[in-house]
Amino acid sequence: MRAYVSAFRMRWKMEAQYRGAVIGGFVCQMLFGLILVGLYRALYFSKPQPFPFGQVSTYVWLQQAFFRMLLASDGDLLDKIRTGSIAYDLCRPVHLYTYYYVRVMAQKLLGSLMRAAPMLVFAALLPPGWGLLPPAGPGAFLTALLGLLLGLLCVCALENITMACTMRTLDSRGMQAMMNLLMMVLSGNVLPLTLYPDSWQRVITALPYAQLLDAPIRLYTGQWLLSDAPRILLRQGAWALALIAAGRFFWHRNQKRLIVQGG
Amino acid sequence: MRYITTEGLTKTFTVRKKREKGRLLREKTQVRALDSVSFSIEQGELVGSIGPNGAGKSTLVKILSGILTPESGAVTVDGLVPWQERRRHVKNIGVVFGQRSQLWWDVPIVDSFSLLRDIYRVPEGDYRKRLDELTEALDLSSFLRTPLRLLSLGQRMRAELCGSLLHGPKLLFLDEPTIGLDAVSKLSLRDFLQKENRERGTTVLLTTHDMEDIAALCPRVMVLGHGKKLFDGALPDLLSRYDKVRQVTVRYDGDFTLPALPETCRLTREGADCKITYEPASLPTGALLSLLQGAGAIRELTAQPQNVDHLIAAMYKEMDL
Repeated sequence: MRAYVSAFRMRWKMEAQYRGAVIGGFVCQMLFGLILVGLYRALYFSKPQPFPFGQVSTYVWLQQAFFRMLLASDGDLLDKIRTGSIAYDLCRPVHLYTYYYVRVMAQKLLGSLMRAAPMLVFAALLPPGWGLLPPAGPGAFLTALLGLLLGLLCVCALENITMACTMRTLDSRGMQAMMNLLMMVLSGNVLPLTLYPDSWQRVITALPYAQLLDAPIRLYTGQWLLSDAPRILLRQGAWALALIAAGRFFWHRNQKRLIVQGG
Repeated sequence: MRYITTEGLTKTFTVRKKREKGRLLREKTQVRALDSVSFSIEQGELVGSIGPNGAGKSTLVKILSGILTPESGAVTVDGLVPWQERRRHVKNIGVVFGQRSQLWWDVPIVDSFSLLRDIYRVPEGDYRKRLDELTEALDLSSFLRTPLRLLSLGQRMRAELCGSLLHGPKLLFLDEPTIGLDAVSKLSLRDFLQKENRERGTTVLLTTHDMEDIAALCPRVMVLGHGKKLFDGALPDLLSRYDKVRQVTVRYDGDFTLPALPETCRLTREGADCKITYEPASLPTGALLSLLQGAGAIRELTAQPQNVDHLIAAMYKEMDL
């Protein structure tokens, strides 16, 4: 256990060093947020939708604030796989999947928190009709936090599956491009999942990508009622378990047929 | 006590070649990295493993350290099968891959060490003591708090070695640990390894291309080539098989007539110097000297020291590697 806590802390420390990247990410995500909100305002004013616009702008801001949780791979780990330095990690008395999982988690958690904190403040200060609304209630806030945590578990598990594939292909780019496309579209980052037709939503919200941010955001805005919360959280938890199990299986299989290239 | 035993160890890699024009599928070839290699190493032994590039040395280390699984053959290290009981096995070993890094690029090296302490569950007291010892022996104190990326190659290698020894492994695999080191660092590293082996009884398997490392450290060498074990024994025994020729350079005062030398000798002139390569077995050095003296007045005579690298090159050539 100590090893994993220590690895988590170490990655956390490393992530905290990249302050320039935080500022860059902040500016970029603010810009994206403003453009998207403007776009959906235009859409709304030409054809009003069945739920209040405040929910859409809040959705966009929360997605942008936690963007780093979705789209961030640990370049260090991918490099290790590509260059073969992973050999060192393979001769440590640790469970490798867990060891990498906690590293990814530290990176995604701190990376997104550092960006989310200033962004959410800014978004809350924007004029009405543009910015972030407060949560639907204290219950909604707490369940949303819990949902975010489960979402984090899911996204780290997805990242570890990408990494397991990289161990086979050695280059992460192809796999990542595909995963990122799925992630951006199906997690609601490009277009809020709430704006898809109802029949589509029934399928999309059941997929793993909707568990990452869409589920906690809907709990936050109150679009999903408190009475729905147990069902939503259960679905997230089930996906987290399934994705972790799948990742562990791939890692285990890879370890058996491993080749470390070059000297 | 037998610490490492391998029996008929075989590992094959599949190498895909680039697709040839007009063919649908890429051609695959099987490369046998290890071909039924058997040996045993006693506890506390310091063994060197040499061989040309691609001989299977690194593959051997990777199998013994539990990273790779061989196709066939039996291996036990301290009673464990490395790839089957990986986590129990790796607790007691330390590995240095000279071309790779185990320390974190962006953080001070002492932080990487703390992580290793937690990974190997080294008690705090033992860790402090060991770190002090290693800091002293490897001269790390001036850059313990410097991030890895700012260190020179020599500093980095010393830090890497420290990282591999923090948990006091009973068995140490060194895969080209002196690569890129300057003379001072190399010598201090050798001293350190010798001390580690003598005082703690650490078993060491050293893979290197640096013959001086082997000559200074390893009473026993194994030669690998094309995945096979070609020699296993003392370095002097190995060298004496190929150490057949000697070389002297003479410079004469004034005129001289080149002596007629037997066919086994080779003579080359470089300005005023005559370089003679001969086999003491067929022409004893004394006899050569009287021949040379008969040719004129010798001003200088230098005998070239034997060069281990040349011997090894000759050996690889003869073994068809």
